[in-house]
Amino acid sequence: MTPVSLTQVDNQKQAEQKWGNVSIDSVRLTDVRKTFNGHEVIKGVSLEVKKGELVVFVGPSGCGKSTLLRLIAGLETPTSGQIDISGRDVTYAHPSKRGVAMVFQSYALYPHMTVFDNIAFALKIQGLPKDEITHKVNAAAETLQLTHLLKRRPKALSGGQRQRVAIGRAIVREPDVFLFDEPLSNLDAALRGQMRVEIARLHTKLNATSVYVTHDQVEAMTLADKIVVLNAGRIEQVGSPLDLYRKPANLFVAGFIGSPRMNTLKARVRDVSNDAVKLDLPQTILSVPRQGAEVPQGASVTFGVRPENLHLATEDEDAHLNGYVILIERLGGETFAYVALKDQEGDPLIMKLDGEVSLHNHQAVGLKIDLNRAHLFSEDGQAIGVSPDFAHQTDGSVHV
Amino acid sequence: MYSNKWIGSLYVTPFVIGFLLFTAFPFVASFLLSLTDARLQDQLGAANFVGLSNYSEMAADSTFRQSLGVTFAYVFITVPLKLAFALFIAVVLNFKLKGIGLFRTAFYLPSILGGSVAIAVVWRFVFAGDGLLNQALSGIGIGSVNWLGEPTTAMFSIVLLRLWQFGSAMVVFLAGLKAIPEDLYEAADLDGASRLKQFFLITLPLLTPVLFFNFIMQIVQAFQEFNGPYIITAGGPLKSSYLLPLMIYEEAFKYFNLGYSSALSWVLFIIIALFTAVAFWSQKHWVFYAQDRDDKGGH
Amino acid sequence: MASSLNPVDHGWRKHLPLVNAFVRYGLLILVGFLMIYPLLWMIGGAFKNNAEIFSSVGFIPKAPTTDGFINGWKTSTEYSFATYLLNTMKIVVPKVIVTVISSVIVAYGFARFAIPGRKWLFALLMATVLLPKSVLLIPQYLMFREFGWLDTYLPLYAPQAFATEGFFVFMIIQFMRSLPLDMEEAAVMDGCNSFQVLTLIVCPVILPAIISVALFQFMWSMNDFLQPLIYLSSVEKYPVALALKMSIDVTEATSWNEILAMSTIALAPSLILFFVAQKYFVEGVTSGAVKG
Repeated sequence: MTPVSLTQVDNQKQAEQKWGNVSIDSVRLTDVRKTFNGHEVIKGVSLEVKKGELVVFVGPSGCGKSTLLRLIAGLETPTSGQIDISGRDVTYAHPSKRGVAMVFQSYALYPHMTVFDNIAFALKIQGLPKDEITHKVNAAAETLQLTHLLKRRPKALSGGQRQRVAIGRAIVREPDVFLFDEPLSNLDAALRGQMRVEIARLHTKLNATSVYVTHDQVEAMTLADKIVVLNAGRIEQVGSPLDLYRKPANLFVAGFIGSPRMNTLKARVRDVSNDAVKLDLPQTILSVPRQGAEVPQGASVTFGVRPENLHLATEDEDAHLNGYVILIERLGGETFAYVALKDQEGDPLIMKLDGEVSLHNHQAVGLKIDLNRAHLFSEDGQAIGVSPDFAHQTDGSVHV
Repeated sequence: MYSNKWIGSLYVTPFVIGFLLFTAFPFVASFLLSLTDARLQDQLGAANFVGLSNYSEMAADSTFRQSLGVTFAYVFITVPLKLAFALFIAVVLNFKLKGIGLFRTAFYLPSILGGSVAIAVVWRFVFAGDGLLNQALSGIGIGSVNWLGEPTTAMFSIVLLRLWQFGSAMVVFLAGLKAIPEDLYEAADLDGASRLKQFFLITLPLLTPVLFFNFIMQIVQAFQEFNGPYIITAGGPLKSSYLLPLMIYEEAFKYFNLGYSSALSWVLFIIIALFTAVAFWSQKHWVFYAQDRDDKGGH
Repeated sequence: MASSLNPVDHGWRKHLPLVNAFVRYGLLILVGFLMIYPLLWMIGGAFKNNAEIFSSVGFIPKAPTTDGFINGWKTSTEYSFATYLLNTMKIVVPKVIVTVISSVIVAYGFARFAIPGRKWLFALLMATVLLPKSVLLIPQYLMFREFGWLDTYLPLYAPQAFATEGFFVFMIIQFMRSLPLDMEEAAVMDGCNSFQVLTLIVCPVILPAIISVALFQFMWSMNDFLQPLIYLSSVEKYPVALALKMSIDVTEATSWNEILAMSTIALAPSLILFFVAQKYFVEGVTSGAVKG
């Protein structure tokens, strides 16, 4: 995995000389706030992006992820707080002087220029000599397989090709940090999958520090080294994809990450011990293995279980829950069954089953829950304890 | 998009300077001049302040009254006729015809060239005693008319010149017609509305913004017509086509009465401003905008 | 009115679309012919001899001759028509250039900056479009007299250097507003200052609007009569507009074919430009009306 740019190698060497074998933060946000027209959209965000990491900002519409990206880019200025890139305070620096390059959602290619000129533009503005520009542009084009398209105009390119030109424009500037603003949203589903793989490959090849914004949690899960989940201007959780999946810090993250959504049931605490919590659930009483659970007896909690952790009870098993099927979605490779609990109101539970499972509508079923994979949340949405399976695993993530 | 307000102000500065120097200042100066007895050949300093006497003189001036009457007649005849004709042709043209571009060119061309001296000169030939129009009339059996020589008919030549230029208004109407979604007419068809009904209940209401725009532009232009009277009729005979702009010009540059001429130009301005203001005010009663008027949109 | 082409019902109504088309075509051809006729007559008359002009309605010359052109070109003044054409260009070309540059610059300020008092300034801009220019005529004349600019071309294009034609600025603002912002943001991130963004990125993309502005200003300036009339006094500086007017004052009653010939030449640049660049004219006029 050789970095393409010499600058990055130099920076790393210098950093190592200064502080020893320490990985320097490429981006650091310290209590950043942003207000638009009296409305606070970013409410005190602090985070770090390490060198070479691909960090994904993910969250629902309006959560502030794009604003945060634009603050890092310099297209907006924070109302308060500080932004450092590669150790320099760039809070008020001009976008072109921050060592960042951005790939826009709509690619923002210059329609009147050829692909070559599009990629070369920033270098031209910098005043680099012509042969150096040609050399760099050709190198970037080769990395992205654009060499045969260099003389074309954007309108003669397909969506995927335009995307690559936008990326090429960023690569050629050899920035410290790459910024991606929902780059795949304008592509159709098939192309999206393809480009996702290409971006992942590119990231590995260039070892480029990247901040990536998306509303699609699948992209987040597949591309990220680290995910930042945002909601209404605040960070809900920061962690590796698997960490967020297995140990969501609150109900919001639990419901946002993972598709289909996690199933939730209201429950009451019967008993708490060192390694388990006994719960009063609709239809049944369950003892959920839990470590580090701090919750008073009698408290109202939310019990969560993901679709893949619900199973159909076999004939000689006692079912945890009973209900009947109200909808079956067969995707071929897997099947989603919607089960309404007997005598209960509320949303049906979603189960993920094998593609070939034999099931029909209105069928009465018994459900078994994999209790080692269950989740528990207090009344205010915070996670209670952690499953013993994950208690000692970390993926180097940071809990906020 | 850019947050630097000072640089933005820099971009707009030429306009601010230009506005102050070439619009605001002359505007005020014009009014002040109208209160003096300034003469063109003298230095400005020699002018005396005479208050509103220019205006009172105007009220008593029979030439002015005639000019005013002629101007109003000109505007009230040409503007409605021109708009109606432009709309009519636009409607006829709004069709999946072959060669629609050709026709549009034919109609639009005159309004591009029409304001020129060359056309005015040609027009004078057309209306001359043995000119084109009389020849054509003789050909059909109607005798010739002394267009430019009779006070009763001289106006006709400049009225026709303006009507001939309906093309630009037509092009705007055409664009407005094309902007009306097809499915409205299709829905009306299904509801059983006749095409005449469709015109009055769908087309016209949705055209009102364009109508409004055209109306204002035409009125402001018609009141300021100069080339026609100057070149074709010289305002005559007997001042029967002595439009106000021509009078303003002659008072200043032929008779050197700067003060009086300025007063005249201010009266013309007030008339136009009044018409414009009334038109704008009346908007809410008859102009229908498809979007919400409070839609601030964009950036 | 699309429904009129779809065959309706039964019986005679089936033929309605045909009748409809027939009537439309007929009307359009008739009116179109009447509209164009004066122009045809002018061009035809330029090729006739004088007697013929006033003896027939037809525009095709029976005995075509270029006398009108040859003699008309010499004009009855000491300058040939070439001088007048050149003078016109000396006025129109600077005027167009200066209009385009100042309009684009001012429009960018309005479109992309949060200028203090923007709403008021914009209102003033729109006011200049509707303002009757006749009320400014005399003070402007006196002002230019004070500058010592009488009998020069300066009063004819100097004001345009300050984006005084609100209509053009408005047209360009509308065009700029329709551009997606992120292209300009990308340019800023690539290191451009606002002026570079304007010249390197925005201008090439709004070229159609710029061309429309240039064409309109060209046409209007070619036709301009009153301004040259009051500012120019030396015949040698006369543009074609004044030269033509002069010719119908001065010429003896017989050389009409010369006048028609010169009129044709005077209109030729506009005619050619119009045919070549028609769509820009149409789009320019309608962009202000339908969207505004």
